[in-house]
Amino acid sequence: MNIVVCVKQVPEVTDAELEINKEGAEILKEDLEFDINEWDNYAVEEAVRIKEAHHGKVTVVTLGDEDCADVLRTALAMGADEAIRIDEQGFEFSDAAGIAQGLYRAVRDVPFDLLLTGAQGSDDGWAQVGLTLAELLGIPYASLVVGVEIGEGTITVHRELESNTQEKVDMPLPAALTIQTGINNPRYVSIMGIQKVRRIEIKETDSEELGLSEAEIGSQGSRVDSQKLSLPPVGEGADILTGSLDEICEKTAQIIRDKGGVM
Amino acid sequence: MDEILVLAEHRQGELRDITFEMLFAANTLGKENDLATAALLLGHETSGLSGKLKGACDRVLVMEDPELAHYNADQYLMALETAIKDRKPLLTLIGHTAIGMDLAPAMAARLSLPLVTDCVDLSLEEGRLGVLRQIYGGKINAQLAMKPSDHYLISLRTGAFDAEVEQGKSGDVETIPAPAWTNLRGRQFLGYVEAELEDVDIAAADILVSIGRGIGKPENIPLAQEFADAIGATLSCSRPVADEEWLPKSRQVGTSGKTVRPKVYIALGISGAYQHQAGMKNADTIIAVNKDPMAPIFAIAHYGIVDDLAQVLPVLTEHFAKK
Amino acid sequence: MDFALSKEQRDIVRAARKFASGEFPDRALEFDRDETFDLDLWRRACELGFAGVFIDQAYNGAGMGYLEHCLITEEFWAADPGIGQAIISCTFGSELLLLFGSEDQKQLILPQLVAGKAMIATAITEPDAGSDVTMVATAAVRHGDEWVINGSKMFTTNGSLATYILFFCRTDPHNPSRHARHSFFLVPTDTPGFKSKKIHGKMGIRASDTAEISLSNVRVPLTNLVGEEGAGFHQLMAFFDRTRLHICAQAVGLARAALEESIRHTKERSQFGAPLASFQVTQFKIAEMATRIRAAKNLYYEAASSVDQGTIDPALIAMAKWFSAEVALQCADEAVQMHGGYGYIDEYKVNRLYRAAKLLEIYEGTKEMEKTIIARSLLG
Ligand SMILES: Cc1cc2nc3c(=O)[nH]c(=O)nc-3n(C[C@H](O)[C@H](O)[C@H](O)COP(=O)(O)OP(=O)(O)OC[C@H]3O[C@@H](n4cnc5c(N)ncnc54)[C@H](O)[C@@H]3O)c2cc1C
Ligand SMILES: Cc1cc2nc3c(=O)[nH]c(=O)nc-3n(C[C@H](O)[C@H](O)[C@H](O)COP(=O)(O)OP(=O)(O)OC[C@H]3O[C@@H](n4cnc5c(N)ncnc54)[C@H](O)[C@@H]3O)c2cc1C
Ligand SMILES: Cc1cc2nc3c(=O)[nH]c(=O)nc-3n(C[C@H](O)[C@H](O)[C@H](O)COP(=O)(O)OP(=O)(O)OC[C@H]3O[C@@H](n4cnc5c(N)ncnc54)[C@H](O)[C@@H]3O)c2cc1C
Repeated sequence: MNIVVCVKQVPEVTDAELEINKEGAEILKEDLEFDINEWDNYAVEEAVRIKEAHHGKVTVVTLGDEDCADVLRTALAMGADEAIRIDEQGFEFSDAAGIAQGLYRAVRDVPFDLLLTGAQGSDDGWAQVGLTLAELLGIPYASLVVGVEIGEGTITVHRELESNTQEKVDMPLPAALTIQTGINNPRYVSIMGIQKVRRIEIKETDSEELGLSEAEIGSQGSRVDSQKLSLPPVGEGADILTGSLDEICEKTAQIIRDKGGVM
Repeated sequence: MDEILVLAEHRQGELRDITFEMLFAANTLGKENDLATAALLLGHETSGLSGKLKGACDRVLVMEDPELAHYNADQYLMALETAIKDRKPLLTLIGHTAIGMDLAPAMAARLSLPLVTDCVDLSLEEGRLGVLRQIYGGKINAQLAMKPSDHYLISLRTGAFDAEVEQGKSGDVETIPAPAWTNLRGRQFLGYVEAELEDVDIAAADILVSIGRGIGKPENIPLAQEFADAIGATLSCSRPVADEEWLPKSRQVGTSGKTVRPKVYIALGISGAYQHQAGMKNADTIIAVNKDPMAPIFAIAHYGIVDDLAQVLPVLTEHFAKK
Repeated sequence: MDFALSKEQRDIVRAARKFASGEFPDRALEFDRDETFDLDLWRRACELGFAGVFIDQAYNGAGMGYLEHCLITEEFWAADPGIGQAIISCTFGSELLLLFGSEDQKQLILPQLVAGKAMIATAITEPDAGSDVTMVATAAVRHGDEWVINGSKMFTTNGSLATYILFFCRTDPHNPSRHARHSFFLVPTDTPGFKSKKIHGKMGIRASDTAEISLSNVRVPLTNLVGEEGAGFHQLMAFFDRTRLHICAQAVGLARAALEESIRHTKERSQFGAPLASFQVTQFKIAEMATRIRAAKNLYYEAASSVDQGTIDPALIAMAKWFSAEVALQCADEAVQMHGGYGYIDEYKVNRLYRAAKLLEIYEGTKEMEKTIIARSLLG
């Protein structure tokens, strides 16, 4: 069972104060910490678990600048066997379809039974790359996967639907899955894993080598003309309670009594 | 007249709210730009459903086939492809739901259409599409201007538009033939799996005390439980808390959990990602405690406390304990 | 001159940080209050290879350097000094074995340490011999093919948990040189006559075990002598030249945590209608902390990487240890200050940092001893 996993590096934003650059086109990333996209982390873990149970090889692929090799090394240390980095040059301002093109060209010659991506990125949240890839490859797929059983040449998965419901679907291999968080409990990276990475050479490629023209990727290839970022307006929304902690709690208690009918 | 095509979403015999939300968006945009609205109903034995759509669009297109009895990406892709090629609509709207997320990217790739997912607002200016998205977990708004195109595929975020769409129209119901199922990739629908038997029904609670990742660790849950006990509330949570198994999955609020509408919803350490908001924003009163004043939850909360929940909770509990 | 860590070193930092920040914070307060620890955390850290990365591959170690061990230590201490110490200290003594142990000793013990199957400790300090190690009076006397050891030790880290302890003993009390009177012995703690008693009431790092030990006619075979008889003092100095680096890492990790907590708190907390972070006093404190931490870090990185490259400069190591410990204390102090009354309560991390910090100026050479070493290198 050979598995390809697409991973990406994203800035950690939950605890961060985000700022937008002057042009309003991008967030300022200098002070942010970067890590593997949360969904991708689950995807890597799932791939490694499947490999451990069914043998084979896990190849991780990322599209990004040199620093993004960090997430590849993390995935290798978790148990992936090979890694490919597609250099970002030329892909700047690509839309999800452009990114998927790059990944497609890089993975189409890698023999695999299963292709995994995260269900979405925690940054742009496009939730497109995995399935766009599946379509380009012409293989069956399932998104939002929260459970996987491998059969004989087939795979059965649980997809997460709304309202606490899942559906069970199966399909022949090779297939593509986008992985939802909670499917497993991702492992920590070990020192042994890190040492193993020494022996692995990350393959590097770029848009030129992949035969992509400027017209297909980057801002030219993108269907988006421009993007203007802004911070969601403040001031509307909640009435922020002020005062000492005790005063605030007094007010809150009153609100709960009034609105909730609590005695 | 150009058209906006809306893929009606239904499951187990029921139209889902997103369908009406999309029709609301389509009708609003249609009125401003002189576009007709067509609902596309894919399914098997759906006769009961088209009646509910008629009043909210100019045309109901029904494709009936046993192969469409349950959502399946393989068949839906072919069916939608057929309809798009046939109708050549300017816009096709799909829900950013478990169905839409499964369908839209592959559809766009197959037909080489521009796709924007997870949109919260739409506009058209001289035939050019503008969309509003929320990125970085709702911390940033992104207004996108799309390049000109004859056709766009859009997935709409659930809850971004009103589901109470005006029922003034009387759309014709038109049957369109199903395609020959030739390009299938072998995906089979096997069945639905309901979550395990649940301990409490959070949807039935009048007051919910809901904890998010900001609770920090399971040892802090008693703090929230004591508070909930003091006010007679039920404990619920955001997804990470359920993912970590700190509370059972049945307590999760949001798109992949439950939708709740209590009298009072108290969000503790929940950032307010839209998937969470979608499950609780219709609560009558929302009180949010979060130490980040910029947390998106404050945009929909009625009252906010910017502080560490571990500080706030004991004091708050005290207020009810002493009465 | 390259101040940047290698990719692999950055991977190590990230891995250690993920593990520590994922596992420690949940348990820190409980361990601190109850003076307990969960050995499963130690075992898991060992399974992940975080213990003794400087141990050669021949003994199942990672064969990395002391700097890598320092990087892990820094992250563990930044997450929580008590738990960090409880885990990291479990190989305290392996440095001595690597330098002077026999092949048999290394083969027997080092793989067990790496695997999380055993801990090692090192007992030097005695009730009447602290800074002046030449006063160590625990006596080892040769009887036929055995050494018989009698005496008592104070403040032995992991004294009640370790499977093996290295004892610094007096073997030649009448040697004219005070530096030729002692030798190290390896004692399995199940040897008859060995007794340990956990010391309670430590100010900080309360998750870490510290014990008093008494040895009464403890008999070990001749092969349990570590290295040469009479060379103990010089071995000890060489040992400290490695282990003091680890203290630097503990200090820098602790100081970093103090800074991080302070930044978070002063941005969140408002007084006089503005966040504490908006006051220049606060800003200066934060700036000073960050600068000191950077300086301490660069100093110890230099010391550690030169040890890894084979250059031992005891004065440089002493400078790094004294300075980083002082920086840790300053930072912890300011962090508590910036937290106001809250920092005085143990639920706040800065409270634990503050109490842990003082130890850094005491163990493995008090700051006075470090300065003595530095001064001697300058003044002769
Ligand atoms: C298809 C799909 C379905 C999903 N379904 C759901 C769903 O049904 N329900 C759901 O909830 N999520 C769902 N999610 C996940 C969602 O995108 C978010 O990741 C999630 O809601 C975030 O949970 P959170 O707010 O608890 O955590 P975070 O986003 O990490 O926020 C934690 C918040 O706590 C605050 N905080 C931290 N410490 C404290 C403290 N001491 N005191 C006060 N505040 C503090 C922080 O400032 C932060 O705002 C889904 C995602 C996908 C892709
Ligand atoms: C938590 C903890 C863990 C420990 N772990 C271990 C361990 O694993 N193994 C072990 O062997 N020991 C351990 N120790 C002991 C530690 O190394 C000693 O406490 C330290 O060496 C100081 O010795 P002392 O306590 O006897 O103080 P003293 O030597 O009595 O020193 C008291 C003070 O006098 C100063 N002083 C002493 N002599 C001079 C001088 N000539 N000039 C100027 N000032 C001087 C010192 O600097 C110090 O400030 C540990 C201690 C603690 C608290
Ligand atoms: C054990 C204990 C007993 C106590 N007993 C009592 C009691 O009996 N009665 C009582 O009323 N209170 C009591 N207190 C509370 C104590 O007085 C407060 O903790 C103290 O006033 C500091 O307030 P704070 O903790 O809110 O810190 P903060 O006011 O938040 O201060 C935090 C830090 O910011 C600094 N800071 C704040 N504003 C500025 C500024 N404008 N410029 C520069 N720096 C600034 C402060 O100096 C401090 O370093 C007690 C506290 C403790 C820990």
